[in-house]
Amino acid sequence: MSVSESSSPSVEKPNLIRETIIYILMAVVAITTVGPFLIMLSVSLTQNIRFITFPIELIPTPITLENFQTLFARTDALRWLFNSVYVAVISTLGGVITSSMAGYAFARGNFWGKNVIFMLFLGILIMPDTALIVPQFVVLSRLGLVNTYSALIGPWFASIFGTFLLRQAYLSIPRDYDDAATIDGANLWQNWWHVLMPQVVPTMATLAVLRFMGNWNSFFYPMIVTSKSDMRTLTVGLGTVARSGGDAGLDMAGAVLGFLPTLLVFVLMQRYIIRGISLSGVKG
Amino acid sequence: MAVAGSSQSNNAQFLKRLRSSLPWYPFIVINALVFVIFNLVPWFSMFRYSVLKTDLLSTREFVGLDHFLRMLTDAKLHKAMLNTAWFTLMYIPLLVGISLGVAVLVNRPLRGMKAFRAIYFLPNITSVAVLALIFRRFLSPRPDGPLNFLIGLVGIPPQKWLIDLYQAMPSIVGISLWEAFGYFMVIWLAGLQAIPNELYDAAKVDGANGWRLHRYVTIPLLRPTAAFIIVIATIGALQVFGSIFILTGGGPVNATTTVVYQIYNEAFNFGRFGYASALSILFFAIILIIALIQSRYLRFGDDVY
Repeated sequence: MSVSESSSPSVEKPNLIRETIIYILMAVVAITTVGPFLIMLSVSLTQNIRFITFPIELIPTPITLENFQTLFARTDALRWLFNSVYVAVISTLGGVITSSMAGYAFARGNFWGKNVIFMLFLGILIMPDTALIVPQFVVLSRLGLVNTYSALIGPWFASIFGTFLLRQAYLSIPRDYDDAATIDGANLWQNWWHVLMPQVVPTMATLAVLRFMGNWNSFFYPMIVTSKSDMRTLTVGLGTVARSGGDAGLDMAGAVLGFLPTLLVFVLMQRYIIRGISLSGVKG
Repeated sequence: MAVAGSSQSNNAQFLKRLRSSLPWYPFIVINALVFVIFNLVPWFSMFRYSVLKTDLLSTREFVGLDHFLRMLTDAKLHKAMLNTAWFTLMYIPLLVGISLGVAVLVNRPLRGMKAFRAIYFLPNITSVAVLALIFRRFLSPRPDGPLNFLIGLVGIPPQKWLIDLYQAMPSIVGISLWEAFGYFMVIWLAGLQAIPNELYDAAKVDGANGWRLHRYVTIPLLRPTAAFIIVIATIGALQVFGSIFILTGGGPVNATTTVVYQIYNEAFNFGRFGYASALSILFFAIILIIALIQSRYLRFGDDVY
């Protein structure tokens, strides 16, 4: 008792110098992370800017949307934006629903091959996806699926990670719910949709946010399976903008276009993202 | 009689099992299909194509194990492996150090901490294409380019960054660090916050404080987190591609050509899909071996107590 009383004030007493140093350090890191984004935004609104040079005026005069107009006029950026939204939304919806279904089957089902399939899935989960990119392209080109939405969405329409995540969520629900539903005459589908799924909605939301961000930001795979400009996703298209050597204003307008959607999702869904990392992270 | 009876009951059991199994398959059929088309079939095709010489269009001949022999003498591949190793060896220690440092910094109940954490996470939610667009401009070799101006303030002369033979890879490392530290900070934070306060109290009662508190409580208890981070980050580092593709195209003079970039090159610039498949097998084996070695020596699990 006396120990805690004598030691806790000395620990919790606000140490002004120490706190100030901590805040300064954190501010430096914050400027390093936010600074480039602010400059990106500023340059994208600046007229006739070929290079980013320092010192820089953060608020351009005049503020103009010219760079965005040029971007939309000279590249397929609008089409890329549409492709990205379409692919990300369908991929996310599909992936979350199929994960919820399969997670339910692995949590509650008792069927032949359950353990074998489960182990196979586990095997895929630990496989690095870049190692499989070339064979994936070979298979897709033989199926004639290069430059199609099927190729862009396909691998995202199921998620092994999501299946595991949802399986855990379903396992944490007591069997009593299933028993009660069965007595009331519910079949497996009704039990899944009406009884169990409403209880795992937060987990599904977490998965949805992670999948959306992952899909929106993916670069290597969509670049490989698309060669026509009008089938590219925004990130892949922006990659070609970066390599084409236009002026800085155009580049930054593209960057803003690619950045804003993810920023919006992040601001609205931050707690789901952090939750998702903690879920997938600490367990090891 | 007994035999017939048991086979009959076996049969009945079989039917019963079948009947209880069937309704479950529709729940996994889409997952299984996606897995077969996009993973299992490519997996087999990788081995099949590794022994073929093909550009997927006209040529297609069986070459046996030639591709695997060629790896032994392929100087570009060796350079790419060295580059990948160089990237990983620079990246991992810096990443672990920086992300842990920042996590310790923000892991206290001060005002505004949540906002800082969110801000640090910002680069991580950003696409590699956006990062590349920004940093291609920031790393401009012009003397009044952003980074050159900033280092000029402390008296360092302008550098060439991405177009310099020796600075290109460290530049890519820097961009990767900038992008990833927020993500690993969150994982460190989860690890830090999982340490029970009672352990610190107990250690204080035993007379530990300040640095000794961290030495004997924090660090040992963070070991599983550290192991997880190192393995995950290494697997990611070995696969670095997007920023290199957009920023340097593997150059200058192959200085940033990594194994993944080289696989991409062989397949999509030279049309050697057979050799690229063989390289994919090699790459997969390398990642697997490194991950297994790390998991063994870093010791996951709870035996730290």
